[in-house]
Amino acid sequence: MSKYLLRRTLGAMVVMWAVATLVFFMLRAVPGDPFTAMVFDTGDPTAAEEMRRAFGFDQPVYVQYFKYLVQAVQGNLGTSIYGSRVPVATIIAESFPRTLSITVLAFLIAVTIAIPAGLISALYKYSALDHGVTIVAFLGLSMPDFWLAILLIIAFAAGLGWLPAIGYAPLSEGFGAWLSHLIMPAIAIGTPFAAIIARMVRSSMLEVLRTEYVQVASSKGLLRWQVLLQHAFPNALIPVITVMGIALALLMAGAVVVENVFAIKGLGRVLIQGILNRDYPVVQGAILIVSGIFVLSNLIVDMLYAAIDPRIRYE
Amino acid sequence: MTHPFDDPKLRADFDDAHDFDSRDPMFGLHRSELSGPVLGRRAVLRLLAASGVLTAGHFLTGSTPARAASGGHLRAAWAGGGEITTLDPARINQVLQFQISSQILGGLTHINSDLVAEGDLAQDWTVSDDGLEWTFNLREGVSFHNGDPFTAEDVLFTVERSRDPEKSIHSRVLSNVADVQKLGDHTVKFVLKAPQASFLVKTLERASGRAVTIVSRGALAAMGPAQYGLTPVGTGPFRCTFHELGQGVVLERNENYHRPDRPLLDKVTITPVLDPEPLAAAIEAGDVDLIGGANPSSELIDRFIANPELEVNMTADVGFQAVWVNPHRDPFRVENFDKPLEELMKEKGFKVRMALAKGLDRDRFIKQSEFGRGVPAYGSINPAMGFFFDGNLGEDSPQKFDLEAARQLLADAGYPNGEGFPTLKLLCPANLRRDAQVVAGIYKRTLGISIELVTKDITVALDDFLSMNFDLARIGSGGDFDPDDAIVDWMQTGSKFNGLKRDKETMAFGYWSNEEADALIDAQRLETDLEKRREMVQKANRLTSEKVACAFLFHPTSTLVYRKTVNYPAAARIPGLVELDQISFA
Amino acid sequence: MTEPATSTLAEATIARPGFFTSLRRDKKAVAGAVILALFVLAAIAAPLMAPYDPNDMEYDMIGAPDWLHPLGTDDLGRDLLSRLIYGARVSLFVGFATVGMALLAGVALGVAAGYYGGFIDSVIMRYIDLQWAFPNFIIAVYLVAVFGTGLSNVIVAIALAFIDDFARVARSMVLTIKQEQYIDAARTAGTSNARIMWRHVLPNALAPLIVLATVSVSNAILAEAGLSFLGLGVDASTPTWGLILAESRSFISRAWWLGLFPGLAIMLTVLSINFLGDALRDYLDVRETGDPVRA
Repeated sequence: MSKYLLRRTLGAMVVMWAVATLVFFMLRAVPGDPFTAMVFDTGDPTAAEEMRRAFGFDQPVYVQYFKYLVQAVQGNLGTSIYGSRVPVATIIAESFPRTLSITVLAFLIAVTIAIPAGLISALYKYSALDHGVTIVAFLGLSMPDFWLAILLIIAFAAGLGWLPAIGYAPLSEGFGAWLSHLIMPAIAIGTPFAAIIARMVRSSMLEVLRTEYVQVASSKGLLRWQVLLQHAFPNALIPVITVMGIALALLMAGAVVVENVFAIKGLGRVLIQGILNRDYPVVQGAILIVSGIFVLSNLIVDMLYAAIDPRIRYE
Repeated sequence: MTHPFDDPKLRADFDDAHDFDSRDPMFGLHRSELSGPVLGRRAVLRLLAASGVLTAGHFLTGSTPARAASGGHLRAAWAGGGEITTLDPARINQVLQFQISSQILGGLTHINSDLVAEGDLAQDWTVSDDGLEWTFNLREGVSFHNGDPFTAEDVLFTVERSRDPEKSIHSRVLSNVADVQKLGDHTVKFVLKAPQASFLVKTLERASGRAVTIVSRGALAAMGPAQYGLTPVGTGPFRCTFHELGQGVVLERNENYHRPDRPLLDKVTITPVLDPEPLAAAIEAGDVDLIGGANPSSELIDRFIANPELEVNMTADVGFQAVWVNPHRDPFRVENFDKPLEELMKEKGFKVRMALAKGLDRDRFIKQSEFGRGVPAYGSINPAMGFFFDGNLGEDSPQKFDLEAARQLLADAGYPNGEGFPTLKLLCPANLRRDAQVVAGIYKRTLGISIELVTKDITVALDDFLSMNFDLARIGSGGDFDPDDAIVDWMQTGSKFNGLKRDKETMAFGYWSNEEADALIDAQRLETDLEKRREMVQKANRLTSEKVACAFLFHPTSTLVYRKTVNYPAAARIPGLVELDQISFA
Repeated sequence: MTEPATSTLAEATIARPGFFTSLRRDKKAVAGAVILALFVLAAIAAPLMAPYDPNDMEYDMIGAPDWLHPLGTDDLGRDLLSRLIYGARVSLFVGFATVGMALLAGVALGVAAGYYGGFIDSVIMRYIDLQWAFPNFIIAVYLVAVFGTGLSNVIVAIALAFIDDFARVARSMVLTIKQEQYIDAARTAGTSNARIMWRHVLPNALAPLIVLATVSVSNAILAEAGLSFLGLGVDASTPTWGLILAESRSFISRAWWLGLFPGLAIMLTVLSINFLGDALRDYLDVRETGDPVRA
C-alpha cells in the first residue's frame, strides 16, 4: 500500500510539473499584450516597457520559465500584473473559500436529493415514481447551468425578492447571509451533478440487487430495508464514490460560468478574468491550484476506492 | 424653498451673466479672473450663458440650500467591472476606479459640474503672464487619514512618484512639467515647458488627472504599494476601511475632512457588479441604493425610469464613439489628407470614406444600440464640455447622415448599390459587440455593403487598433473632460492613439494625419485665452469632421441611477464621477 | 489513475432484437429521436424554414411573440425564430464536429496505447492523465483564449478537451479484448497489427464508444453554449444558441421569450440526445460509468 501511495504521489507531482510547464508556454503563445492594454488610456509606451521589465517579460523565455518554476516550488506565485500587483497567493486565498463554499454546498444539496431519489427509483423500478425521477434527472442534466442560474435570479431575486441577486457573504457575516447568497449558485451547479448521482445510484443499486448474495439475504427472510441498507447500498456506493471523485472537477467547471452570473469572485472567475486580461501570473497560479485540487482529489478517491473495495489491487 | 430669482442678488447675477455680446462672452474678463480658487463666479456664469447651458439651478449652488440630513449607510453597486482592480492613482486606468479614489484621495483641483476646475487641496493660485509658472497656496491644517499633516512635500513626493514610469502609468501626463518647487510649507510652484490651457483640468484634477492626486508618503512606506492600491490613505472625504478584490470596498466618513459640510454619509459600501441583470435586480429589490461605476447598460434605463422607486439622473457624458476607417487599405485608401477637400472629393478612396461617414444613420444607431440615450457625434469635442462644444456642427458637417448622397458617392466610386464592394471586417473589443452589430446592420441597410464582425478580447483589440490592423474599427474615448483629451490625444498625427504601433515603413501615419489640424491643436494647447482657445478647438474639430478622420458616431449619456431615498444635489452632478461626499439620504 | 471497470463493456451482441425495435419500446427515446430529427432538419434546411433573415434588424425591438414573429424579436429587432433555426446549424454542427474529431483522435490514441502497451502506452497515458487533471470545460476555455474565438477554434478547443474520454475508453476496451483467444489466433496466423486492430479490436470496442459519443455530443453543445455565454465562443455574425442567450442576457426579465426559447432549444436538444444515448446504452448493455458524463 505504501509503495502504491508513493508511486501515485510521485505521479501526481509529475502531472503538476507538466501542467505548470504547459500553462507557462501556452500562455506565451496567446496573442494580446496586457501592458499595451493597461497603458492604452495614457498612451505611454515607456510605461509599458518599464512594466514589462519589472515583470521580467523582457528576458528570454527559458530564463522566465526557470525563474517561474523555482519560485513556484518555493510557494511564490508572483503578483498580478494589473492594478496594485496584488500577490497571486492573496487573490487565490480570497477567492478559493468562495468557490469551495459554492462547491461544498452544491455537493451537499446534490447528494441529499440524489441518493434518496436514486434509491427510490431503483426500488420501485419502472413505476411512475421511477419514470418521474428519471425524467427530472435528464432535465437537470440537459439544462445549461448558466441558464438555470438566470432563471433562478429572475424567479427568486427579481420576482419574489427572497434572495439577493448577486454577491457573496463570508460565513463571518452569519450563516443566514452566507447561505442566502450561495443557495442559488449552488443549486445551479448542483443540479446536473445531482442528476448524475441519482442515475448512478439507481443503476448500481439495480445491479447489486440482482447479485446472488442480496437475493440470498432476502430469501433468508431479512427485512427488505435491512437487506437494502446493510447489504445492497454499501456495495452500490462504490461506483457512486468514483463519480463523486470527479464531482469537484464537474462542480468547478460549473462554478466558472455560474460565478460570472452571480458576480462572485471565486477561482473560476479569477481564471476567466485572468485569461481575458492576459494576467499571466494569475492564470498560471489559478490553474496550478485548480489542477492541484483535481490531482489531489483523484488521489484521495483512488485511496478511498481501494479501501472500500478490497478487490482492487495496487498495480 | 423660494424661487432663486426672488432673491435680488441672484437676479442681478443672472442679468450680469447674460449681459454680454454673445460672440464675446469673455468681454470684460481679465486674466486675473482665470486664476482661482475657482474660475471666478462671474467668469463661470458667463461661460455657461455663452454655451447656452445656464439654468436657474446654477444659481442655487452658491446659495446654501436646505442642509441635507447627514448620516446613514449608502450601499452602492459599481457597474462595468468584476472588481475594483486598484485605487492607487498611479495605476488607475478605469473610470470606475477613479470615481472611488477621488473620494479617498485629494488633488490640487477638482472639477465641478461644468467641468471647470475648482481648488481642492489648493486654496488658490496665480498664473504668470507667460502662462508658464503656476503658484499654488495649499490648504493648511489638512491631514491624511493616518494623521500625517499634508504639506508641500507631499505634492513634490506625488509628482516624483508619478513621473517614474516604473511606479506610475501616468508619467506622460507630466511631460509638460519642467519643474516643481517648494516655496514654503504650503506653497508650491509648477514650472511648465510650454503654456498649457488644460493644466488645471487635465494635470491637476484629483479624479481624472491622477498624476497629482496626492498620495500619502507615510502610508505607502508603511503598507507597501500592493496594499496601498487596495486601501489607499489620502486626505479625501472618506477613509477606505476595507477592500477585497471582487468583493467590494467600504468607505467610512473622514471626521477630519477639510470641508466641515462634507461628507454627509457615515459609511458607503461599494460592490462591483459585472452583469446587467443582477445589477438591475439588486437596485430594484432595494439591496443597493445607487449604481455608480460605468454607465449601466442603456437597455436597462427605460426599465429604471418606469420604476417609481428609482431616480434616473441623466446628463451629457464626456467622450466620443466612432467608426475608424483604415486609410491604408482599399477601398478607402487615402494617401494625403492635406489636399483641399474639393480635391480629396475627387479621389475614389475618399469618396468611399465619405460615403461611410454619410451613410452612418446615427439616429437609428442611437435608437437601436443605445435605446435612445446619446447624442449624434460629428466631432470629438463632446457636449459635456459645454463651452467648447460646437452645437452647429451637426447641421454643417458633411458627415451628416444623407442617404442619397452617401449612395451616390459609393456609386461614383464604382460600387452602385454596394455591388462589387468587398466584405469588410469590423474590429471591436468584446464589450462593444452588440454595438458593432448595429453598425454592420446599418451599413447593410443604407449602403448595401456586407460587414463581418471581428470580436477580440480587449487586449488584442487595442493592440490591433494601435497597429492599424483593421478595415474598420469600432472604438471610442471615455473620459474627455478637457478638449485636449479629445483632440490632442486622438486627432493629431502624433496622437497617442493614432497608429502608435503601426509598421512605420509601410504606413506614413496612422488613421489620419493633417498638417492644419496638427498646427491648430498645438496652438490651442498653449492658448490660455478661453475664447481664442475655443475658436481653435472648434476649427480643428471641424477639420476632423470634414476630412473624415473617422466616421463619428455618438456621444454617450452619463446615467446615475439611485433610489428615491437618496438625495443627489444637482451641483454634484459631474458626468463620469460619483460625488459620494455630497450624497445624503432624503 | 483509476482504471474504469470494463469487464462487461465489450459484450455487445448481435443476437438481440434490432435497435429500432428496441428503440420503439422506449417512449423517451422515440420522443428524443423525433425532436432531434426536427432540429437537424431545421438546421439543414434553415434558409427554407426560417421566415426571415436572421441578421435583419428591421423589426420591432423586443417584440413579444405574435403571428408575424412566433417566438418574438430580440433586442436588436431580429426575428428570434429565424435566429434559432440558423443557430441550430452552428450549435449542432459544433456538437457533431467536435465529437467526430475527438472520437477519431481519442480512439487512435487509445487503441495504440492499449494494443502496443509499453512505452507508447506510458506516453499516451501520461498525456491522458494530464488532461484528466482538468475539467473539459476549463480546457476549452483556455484553448479558446489561446486560439481566439471563432467557429473552427471553438470546435478544435472542445474536441481537444474531449479526447481523453475517448482514449481512455478505447484503451481499456482494447486491453480487455486483447486477452481474447481469437486475437491470439489472428496474431499467430500472421495478420498485421493494423489489420487486427481494424478488423477485430475496433468493432468490439464500438459499443461503449458509441454511447460515449452520444453523451459527448450533448456535452459539446452545452460547452459551446457556456463558452459563448462567457464571450469566448463563436463570433457574433453567426448566431449560436449559447450566443443568442448570452446576447439577450440583460433583457430576459423583461422579455421572457428571449430567455426561454434559446435555453429551451439547447435543453431539448441535449435532452433528446441523452434519451437516445440512454436507449443506446440499454440496447448495447454498456454500464454507466462516470466518464461519459464528465462535463
